[in-house]
Amino acid sequence: MKTEPHRPAALPYASDPERPVPDVRRKGDAPLRRYRFEFMMMLPALLLLAAISLFPFVYLIWMSLNTVSLAGGLGFTFVGLDNWLQLFSDPQVGQSWKISLIYFACTVGTELVLGIVVALALHALHFGRHLVLSLVLMPIFIAPSIAGLLGYFLVDPVYGFYGWVLRTLGIFSGNLLGTASSAMPTLILIDVWQWTPLIILIVSAGLASLPEDVMEAAKIDGATYFQRLFRIVLPLLAPIILIALLIRSMDAIRFFDAIALTTNGGPADTTKVVAIRLYETAFRFFHLGYAAAIGLTMLIFTIVIAKVFLRALSGRELTN
Amino acid sequence: MQPLRFLKTAILLLFVLVFVVWTLFPIAWMVLSSFKPNNALFAFPPKFIFTPTGDHYAGLFTGSSNFAGYIQNSVIAAVSSTVISIILGTAAGYGLARSHFRGKADLSFWIISTRMAPIAAVILPLYLFYSKLHLLNTLLGLVIAYLTFSLPFAIWLMNAFFVDLPIALEEAAKVDGASKWQSFVHIVLPLSAPGVVTTAILCFIFAWNDYAFATTFGGPGSQTIPIAAAQLMTQSGIDWGKLMAIGTVTVLPMIFFGMAVRRWLVRGLTLGAVK
Repeated sequence: MKTEPHRPAALPYASDPERPVPDVRRKGDAPLRRYRFEFMMMLPALLLLAAISLFPFVYLIWMSLNTVSLAGGLGFTFVGLDNWLQLFSDPQVGQSWKISLIYFACTVGTELVLGIVVALALHALHFGRHLVLSLVLMPIFIAPSIAGLLGYFLVDPVYGFYGWVLRTLGIFSGNLLGTASSAMPTLILIDVWQWTPLIILIVSAGLASLPEDVMEAAKIDGATYFQRLFRIVLPLLAPIILIALLIRSMDAIRFFDAIALTTNGGPADTTKVVAIRLYETAFRFFHLGYAAAIGLTMLIFTIVIAKVFLRALSGRELTN
Repeated sequence: MQPLRFLKTAILLLFVLVFVVWTLFPIAWMVLSSFKPNNALFAFPPKFIFTPTGDHYAGLFTGSSNFAGYIQNSVIAAVSSTVISIILGTAAGYGLARSHFRGKADLSFWIISTRMAPIAAVILPLYLFYSKLHLLNTLLGLVIAYLTFSLPFAIWLMNAFFVDLPIALEEAAKVDGASKWQSFVHIVLPLSAPGVVTTAILCFIFAWNDYAFATTFGGPGSQTIPIAAAQLMTQSGIDWGKLMAIGTVTVLPMIFFGMAVRRWLVRGLTLGAVK
């Protein structure tokens, strides 16, 4: 028998066989008439959303086909696909994508593994589980910019607490964020510090919804903890872990506050993720058209992830 | 068997303890540092016992720094964008939850993809619009920028809350002669109050925490708290005491708000995907 430990909430995308859509549509009863009230409710938000998202999106595409100048008033010079051709042969942008993907893989990977391990540990606690969970959630609410500044303060070679600890232990006495080899790992740790709690939160919710009877049966049958973990718990948690992974992925690409405020891409471009590269291209060198092309590639990347996310929610084909 | 079990529990507790300390120490250190006199702030080995001072906080509001203005800007921008998102998002989320039409999946996808769009990609066209429409350096510009992520978030999350509400109540109201609007206002809204509050708080936190939009579109007329923090950063010789005070003021209210909706956080932060 198949058990469903966690069913994603019914979203507009999700088709839920247990909650049939009350579709009593008669012939000729068009949705527009039937749902007139509902459409009117949606209209203001959708109009506003279209104005602030669809319009800029089209504009962004148009920007990427032009050389945009700001000096002496806004000026567009159509250059066709020049920006795009340049983009695909630009080693610096390629390097930034590489850095972004490394950052992405290391942060999300570490957060996922650590988050699952901590969630399992918390689940095994017999007391104080909820208190501990509430406590470790705190970093989620911190502005990423402040998290970056706080990390900067803590690892400062002269004033920082972590800097002092590393110095005293004789491990490292330099500037962690100012050294090419350690800047990226430090930024990754700041991200891991802030966002592992989100994974813990999500996985804990999944663990709480595991079917008790299955767990009991496995225990009675003599399965060891790790057998139960790898044969039952993790497979049952797969859909929820996927959701955690995707949520984290989307935000990992979105944010750049912490990096902008600490290393701003340095030292020697070792932390210049795509978002920082775009920002610099646009607002330091004022190559706005070229920056638009970079922005569109980021957008495409995000949309692919969003597609996977919705598929994970709606169909359970990924888990079956 | 018994000692082994004890050992396992001890290792488990130690692991959890280490993780809790690693997670909470930076926050505690920030708050502690914001109350330290300068000589204790930079003393090594670090001091945990000291005479607390409010100097760093006082310094934020006196002299050349106008921190009150930054707070005001942050509050206005975050509250306005939240209120607009909640009103429009609640209505649209309800409409979406209770209607069925072809293309609904595509519409939903468009809404969610707007929420996920990289800030860096949105910033470019908005920057050009704003420079044309003289919206740079205005709070209105910031509010519009925040709506680009909080409005789709509100629509999507409210929709998730409404979909879970049993439709039977509304059907009963209809039988009793209530209009759709009446049943929305008198039955649906009161029942979804937790959803509304959770969505509002998360919208507020996202806007409050923004740095990217504020630094790009901001000027003296619209600087928010994270900008104040960043400005202290770029000066030669960082005033860490003040910076930690700003950090504390920025962070603690958000932690408080977040904890207030602790029960619904999983839903909110997963865009309704996990209950």
